[in-house]
Amino acid sequence: MTQDASPKPPAPTVTYLVKVGHASAPQTLEVHAAEGDIKPWDLDSKLRVVKGRQPRLDGPLKVTGQAKYTFDISMPGMLWGKMVRASVPAAEIVKIDTSKAEKLPSVKAVWTTEARAVRFAGQDVAAVAAISPEVAEDAARLVEVTYDERPYVTDLQKAMEEGAPLVYNADQVPGSPKAPVKGNVVGPIVPRRGGPRGDVAKGLAEADVTVESTYYVPVHTHSPLETHGVIAKWEGDQLTIWASTQSISTVREGMAEYLGIDRKNVTVITEHMGGGFGSKLAASAEGTNFSGVACKLAKQAGAPVKMMLDRHEEHLCTGNAPAALMTVRLGAKKDGTLTAIHHRSFGTAGIAGGAGTGGPSGNLYANTPNCLVEEHDVFTNAGPAAPLRAPGHSQGAFALESAMDELADKLGMDPLELRRKNESSPVRRIQYDIGSKAIGWERRNKKAGETSGPRKRGIGMANGNWYVFARGSGVGAEVKIHRDGSVEVFQGSQDIGTGFRTAMAMVVAEELGLQTRDVTPHVGDTRWPEGVGSGGSNTTNSVAPAVRLAAHDARTKLFAVAAPLLGAKAEDLDAAGGKIFVAAAPSKSIGFRQAAAKMPNEVISAVAERKKQYETYRQDLAGTQFAEVEVDTETGNVRVLKVVSVNDCGIPINTLTTESQIIGAMIQGVSWALFENRILDRNVGTMVNPNLEAYKILSSKDMFEAVAIVSEIANAGNNTSAAGIGEPPIVPTLAAIANAVFNATGARVHSLPLTPDKVLAHINAARRA
Amino acid sequence: MAKPPDHDSPASGVSRRTFLKTAGVGAAATSLIGAAPGASGPTVLGPDAVPLALKINGAARTVTVEPRVTLLRALRNHLDLTGAKEICDRGACGGCTVMLDGKPIASCLMLAADAVGHEITTVEGLGTPEKMSAVQAAFVEADALQCGFCTPGFVVASTALLRQNPSPTLEQVKDGLAGNLCRCGTYSRVFEAVLKAAKATPVAGRKA
Repeated sequence: MTQDASPKPPAPTVTYLVKVGHASAPQTLEVHAAEGDIKPWDLDSKLRVVKGRQPRLDGPLKVTGQAKYTFDISMPGMLWGKMVRASVPAAEIVKIDTSKAEKLPSVKAVWTTEARAVRFAGQDVAAVAAISPEVAEDAARLVEVTYDERPYVTDLQKAMEEGAPLVYNADQVPGSPKAPVKGNVVGPIVPRRGGPRGDVAKGLAEADVTVESTYYVPVHTHSPLETHGVIAKWEGDQLTIWASTQSISTVREGMAEYLGIDRKNVTVITEHMGGGFGSKLAASAEGTNFSGVACKLAKQAGAPVKMMLDRHEEHLCTGNAPAALMTVRLGAKKDGTLTAIHHRSFGTAGIAGGAGTGGPSGNLYANTPNCLVEEHDVFTNAGPAAPLRAPGHSQGAFALESAMDELADKLGMDPLELRRKNESSPVRRIQYDIGSKAIGWERRNKKAGETSGPRKRGIGMANGNWYVFARGSGVGAEVKIHRDGSVEVFQGSQDIGTGFRTAMAMVVAEELGLQTRDVTPHVGDTRWPEGVGSGGSNTTNSVAPAVRLAAHDARTKLFAVAAPLLGAKAEDLDAAGGKIFVAAAPSKSIGFRQAAAKMPNEVISAVAERKKQYETYRQDLAGTQFAEVEVDTETGNVRVLKVVSVNDCGIPINTLTTESQIIGAMIQGVSWALFENRILDRNVGTMVNPNLEAYKILSSKDMFEAVAIVSEIANAGNNTSAAGIGEPPIVPTLAAIANAVFNATGARVHSLPLTPDKVLAHINAARRA
Repeated sequence: MAKPPDHDSPASGVSRRTFLKTAGVGAAATSLIGAAPGASGPTVLGPDAVPLALKINGAARTVTVEPRVTLLRALRNHLDLTGAKEICDRGACGGCTVMLDGKPIASCLMLAADAVGHEITTVEGLGTPEKMSAVQAAFVEADALQCGFCTPGFVVASTALLRQNPSPTLEQVKDGLAGNLCRCGTYSRVFEAVLKAAKATPVAGRKA
C-alpha cells in the first residue's frame, strides 16, 4: 500500500456560458460540464418541442380502457393470491392453522409467516393462492390464527406517556437510532439538511414579538386507485414480475435479495401504473411483503400468481403520511425581521421511524440567524408510514406557515409582506408577484373575519420548499433510428402517471427535429437502460439529460449520413420540422426519412449515460401558494374557491402535464386539509374507515378553481435544465387553506382536517374572545 | 327467461345478497341463464359456475362463472374487458362504471347474473385508440388523466351524462361526476374535457 496521497487529477470539463434564472432577471454564468456533455438548454435556447403542451402519448390507450395495468394482466394458468392479515394490533402468534384452507381443491399454494410478533393490525400472517379471486378469499377466511394478545397503543399522544405499552422493547427498536430512545419516543433528531444555526434562545430573547403554537396533522393514506400488487411468473430460474410500482429496479433488487437469486434472473415490468404518491417505492410496501410472498407462492404452485391487495389492505399496510404534533416558536423584530425559528415535532410513522417534519422550518427563511429543528419519532401499533409526496414537508409547512401567519397578525403586518421581508430565495420573490396578482391579494380582508353575513370569504397564502434530487450517474438511455425513419427511445424508469414517457419522447423529438408522435417511447422494463425509482421528484431530471445525450449522439450519426447528400459538413447541419438542413442555408435540406433510408445499416443506435448534476444556479425549488375559501359560519363548512400555485421546476419539458401534476398536488393537499383522516379505534386498535367512503378524499363536488403557474427557471443543473415538480406543490397547501380560513373568519384552527365541527368550535371561541 | 331485475325495487329479481344466501342451497342450474325459456320468479343458481348469456358492447357473450361473481369481475377476469377497474369494490369510487341500458352503474355492486337481459356498454365499447369517441378524444386533448386508472370510469360516466344532458353547465358536470374519484387530482381537466366534448358533439334535436 502506498503512502502517496497525491490528489486525483480533476475530471475533465467543458465550459459553457449559459443564460440562467427567470426571464425577468437573467444572469449569465459559466457551467463547467462533464466532458462529453452538451450545452444545457437555457433562456436563449430556441426550443421547438420542449416546453410545449403535448397530450400524453399513452392517452388514447388509457381513455379507451386498452392500457393494461398490473391489475389488468392475466395469463394462462394464473392463480390469485390473497393475504391473511393480523386482526389484532399487538400479539404473539401462537398458531396458524391453514389445514381447512388447504383442503379446498382449488387452493394450490399456502404461505405462513415465520414472524411471531404482531405489532399492528394488518401485518402479513399467511397467504393462499387459488384458481380465482373468490376462492382465494374463501380460503383466506378459513385460515385460523391464534393470538396471545398484548397491550397496545395507537394514539400518538398516549404513546408518548410514561408507562404506555411499548411497541418495541429497548433491544428491538428497528434501525440504529442515532438519538436517545425513551419508551416509544426516539429523539431529538436534528436533521442534517436545515441543521441548527445560531442560538434559538438568544434569538427569541432578542425578539420584539414572539409566537408559539402547537399544530396537529393526522395520518393521510396515499390511497392510490390501483392498489399495490404484482404478478410473479417463474420459467425455470428466470423470474418475471409485473408490478404496480414506482421503482422497477427496487423490486428487482429487493426480490433477488429476498429470494437469494441472481438479479440478472429477475425482470420487472411496469407498463402502466395506477398511482403511488410515494407508497410504491419499496420492493413490496412498508408494512407487507406481498411481492416476496407472491413469488414464493408461484414457485410452490408452479404457476404464475397474481397478488393485488384490496382497498382495506391498501389503507392498513402499504404506508401512509405520518401524523405529527408540532410546536413552532418564532421571534421577530417589530419590522418583521425573523430572529429565531424553533420547530419541535413528535410524529408517528406507526411501527416505523421517519416521522420528521422539520424540512420547511430548517430551510425556508434561511437568512434567519437562529434556527433549531428537533424531531421525534413516536412508535405506535399502526401500519408503518411511507414517503408521501414531499415526506414530512406538508405537515411541517402547515405548522411553520400557520405560525408565520400568527406572527403577522401579532405584528399587524400583511402576511405576504412578512414573508417578503424574510425571503432568501430570489425565485420566490418573483413568485410572490405572480401569485398575489393571480389571486387578487388586495381583495383579502384587512382584518380577519371582517366581512358581514354568515358566509365569509378569505384569502391566505403559504410557502413550500423542496430540493433538487437528481441521480447523477448510472442512468442510461438508448435511442434508435431505423432505416424506415421510425425512432424509439428505451429507458428503464416507469411512468407513474406523470407523463414521463411522453416527456422523454419530446426530448428526443427536440434533438432530432421531429414531432413528438414520431418517437415511440419504451419505459418500465428492467431490460432497458438503467432507470431511477420515481421518488423525490427526480425522474425527469435524472433521466431527461441521458435521453437528450443519446438523441444527440444518434443525430450526430445521422448527420454523418446526410452530410454528403447535402454536400456539406456534418457539423454544419441542423434538424427541425422533419428535415435535416444546412444551418446557414436552410433551403439545402433532406427529409429525415429520406436521410434515414440512406443509412448504411438497418439501425443507428446510440446509448448514453447521464453526467453529474451541476451546481450552477441556485439549487432548492421554490414554490408559493395562494388560496381563497368561503366559510359558512353557521355550519362550519369550508369551501375552497380557488388555489393558485406558482412553482419552479426548472425548464418544464411538457408544460401541459407539468401543470396537471401541480393541479393534482393542490387537490391532494386540499383533500388532506379538509377531509382526510385515518381513524384507528383506540379500543380495539383497528382502522375504522378502511375504504373510500368513510376515508373521504376530495371529489368533483368539492372541486375549486385550480390555477397552476410554472415560473420557468433555466438552472443549467443538467443539459435540459429540468428539475422536479411532483412533490413541491403539495407542501404549502395545508397551511394556505388554514390561513385563508383564518382570514375569512378570524378563527385559527391548529388541527387538521378542517372539519365543520372544529371550524365551528373555533369560530365560536373567536367570537367569545 | 330470467325475469329482468327491477333496480328500483330491492324486493324483486335476484340481488347479490340473495345469491349469497342461496349459494350452496339449491340445485345448480345447468341451462344457459338468459337463454333458457320458461323460468319465472327468483332463480336459485350455484354454487357451481353457471353459463350466462350477456350482451356486451352490442355483441352476445357467454361467460361461465359462479353466481356470486360480480359483473365487474366477470368483465375483467372472464371476458378480458379490463377497462372497468376494481378500486374500492363497494360502489364508492366509480372506477368500475359501465352503462346498463344506457345508465351508468357500479359494476362491482351487480352480479353478472343480474346483468342478463340488459345491454351492457363498457369503455371498450365507446371507442378505440384509433377511433376515439368525442369524449375520449377530449380527455386526451385536455390531459384529463394522469395515472389513468380512474379514467375509464370517468369516460363512461361523462358519456352517460352527455347522453342525458348534451349541454351541461359546469355545475351539472360536477354533479354528474360526483360518484367518480380521482386520486391524481385531475378533476378540473375532466370538467374541461366534458364541456369541450359537449360542444364538439352535434346533438340531434338540440335547441340552438
